[in-house]
Amino acid sequence: MDFVKSIFIAASGLKAQNGRMRIIAENIANADSTGRTPQEDPYRRKIPTFSTELDRKLKADVVELGPVEFDRSDFKTRYEPGHPAANESGYVRTPNVDTLIEMVDMREAQRSYEANLNLITATRRMLQKTIEILRA
Amino acid sequence: MSISDLPLFQALKSKMQWHQSRQGVLAENVANADTPGFRGKDLEDFSFEKALASRTVGLATTRTSTAHIVGSMMRESGGVARDDATGFEITPDGNTVVLEEQMMKVTANQMDYQTVASLYQKGLGLIRTALSRSG
Repeated sequence: MDFVKSIFIAASGLKAQNGRMRIIAENIANADSTGRTPQEDPYRRKIPTFSTELDRKLKADVVELGPVEFDRSDFKTRYEPGHPAANESGYVRTPNVDTLIEMVDMREAQRSYEANLNLITATRRMLQKTIEILRA
Repeated sequence: MSISDLPLFQALKSKMQWHQSRQGVLAENVANADTPGFRGKDLEDFSFEKALASRTVGLATTRTSTAHIVGSMMRESGGVARDDATGFEITPDGNTVVLEEQMMKVTANQMDYQTVASLYQKGLGLIRTALSRSG
């Protein structure tokens, strides 16, 4: 197991967190996307999944972004009779996205990304130290 | 006999290999820090006695023809990954990786590696001093 391998493993982590960030961005961007008619569903929150995959080339457990799942919780409702998507009783169904939760998820993705970056930096320093032996 | 065959350099080399393997295992842990059900891993602690003993245990084939392939039964020291579930906490989704702990381990691993690499460098310096004429 050499250092380049460690860097590749950390890179798989970076990639996974990057994908997670994209899904969080989608959720936040669509936090107000209601349907146009009462029958049409509003935006449903997406959840990224992670899975451990054995990379045969690296012979190591890397992380991969699995299939994106949907949040099955109920949609929120808001009383707004004039809205085109309002039902007979005047309620509009809004996406089941909680911006606060998305923000917390975003921070977590950021921290994990930084941790992977730190690991790459540490590995690079070790590699540099090895090369310094040549200079002695 | 080459310089890397000296016992000092052999010991330092196996220690450096161990740190290299450990860095890989820690990289796996950090990459999978958000994967449900992932159990953190770590290597068995390194011991010089074991590393030096395994050198003598192994068998290597002798080449009598250039067409032969060099075979070796030498065991790579410190290759055993153990379950590191005795960490600080286990999240509800069954993940045992704590990022702070891993970062600490990565830093310790890096520092130790740099120490060993410096020692290797110093060892080479010693030999160079011994070889130099202007004493």
